[in-house]
Amino acid sequence: MKNYYDIAGDGGSDILEQVQAQEESVARNLAGVRNLLAVGSGKGGVGKSTLTMQLACALRELGNAVSILDADLNGPTQARLGALQDRILVPGESGVTVPTTRDGIGVVSLGSLFPEPRAVDFESVAAGSSYTWRATKEFTVLRELLACMDWGKLDYLLVDLPPGAERIVQYAELLGPTAIFVLVAIPSDMARGVVARSIDALAKTPNRILGYVENMDGYYCSDCERVKPLFPAQPQVKLELPCLGSVPFDPELAALCDRGGSPSDSPALFSWQPVRRIAREICERVAEPASACKEGA
Amino acid sequence: MKFLCVSCDEPMKLVHTKPPERGSLTVVYRCPSCSHEFAMLTNPYETQVVGSLGVKVGPAGTGDTTKCPFTDVVRDLGSDREGSNVFPWTPEAASRLRNIPEFARPMAKAGIEKFAKERGLAQIDAQVLDQAKDFFGM
Repeated sequence: MKNYYDIAGDGGSDILEQVQAQEESVARNLAGVRNLLAVGSGKGGVGKSTLTMQLACALRELGNAVSILDADLNGPTQARLGALQDRILVPGESGVTVPTTRDGIGVVSLGSLFPEPRAVDFESVAAGSSYTWRATKEFTVLRELLACMDWGKLDYLLVDLPPGAERIVQYAELLGPTAIFVLVAIPSDMARGVVARSIDALAKTPNRILGYVENMDGYYCSDCERVKPLFPAQPQVKLELPCLGSVPFDPELAALCDRGGSPSDSPALFSWQPVRRIAREICERVAEPASACKEGA
Repeated sequence: MKFLCVSCDEPMKLVHTKPPERGSLTVVYRCPSCSHEFAMLTNPYETQVVGSLGVKVGPAGTGDTTKCPFTDVVRDLGSDREGSNVFPWTPEAASRLRNIPEFARPMAKAGIEKFAKERGLAQIDAQVLDQAKDFFGM
């Protein structure tokens, strides 16, 4: 009797071919993207999303064409950060038009489609069992967005990843081997321990990790114009990656971001300068061959 | 998943599917040698898990050939949330709408229809979509 592998094709359901076509469609649609930069951490609450938007602003300021894909489908924030909460998706001639901030940064976020406080939800015929299919559905939605948006020619497509150290591998596989990762840490051993797990998980992929950003490295007090410690002690957990720079927590910048404001509105903000330096560092490092980057680690 | 006619040792061919009913899909297969037919009846969990892959279940070559193959994710699985279809869309505009992923299409459609209604427009055509694109600053 024949076994599975003796039979060519799948009898007509075409499911494998469709999944393969989806992957090819993503690759085709991202052909105009020079650098696919995934901003992750593994740890939640370290400021990935805010930093992603700030880096996008800084990269844009350096003359790059930049868009953001908000891959966090369980708490999308990029629409708020880009003041794009009320935008609708408009189908263009060559794909769906990417909404842009007034600084010209493209932002695709489910936060535009599901206004707060509405939870992101999907149609289902299997009520009460979303734990069995929701993760698959989320990756399908991301793949659809990658495949259907008219990204055009971009210097950087930043992907704001959700938390989850081990799940970072699935995002690496979704985005493909050319996606470059930037990890966000904070000066806390608990957070760094999780980021270390992400580094370990990514080591099993062909993807390059550019380095990490130390976020919330103290807080900036505008009264005394000094950076003061935010965490009690220097972290002991070492991250085996280049540090791309440190950013202090800045209440003014945080408030600006919450309002959907752009750092370019307040270029004198203290913590905006380190973000700019990190953006320049990223530009320099992505231009290096991967081997040179690893040597510098 | 493949199916084998044990008597003939021949792979069964998918013949047709029936519309989903309470989350269950009916997929009919036939043996090309003996013409024996059987139906695979999925439970809602199976339907949803396969549907979550963003694929269309049906005989090969009969699916629509729109540019983006992802747009049928939920259409065949559940209710149509795309609205009342009262507002007429020209074929070109409707074709463009299908580029929007299924899960987001109802919201996009409603938004564009609201935009058109506020301007007293009678139908949605490509020009209206371009106007909406300009209006939303894209």
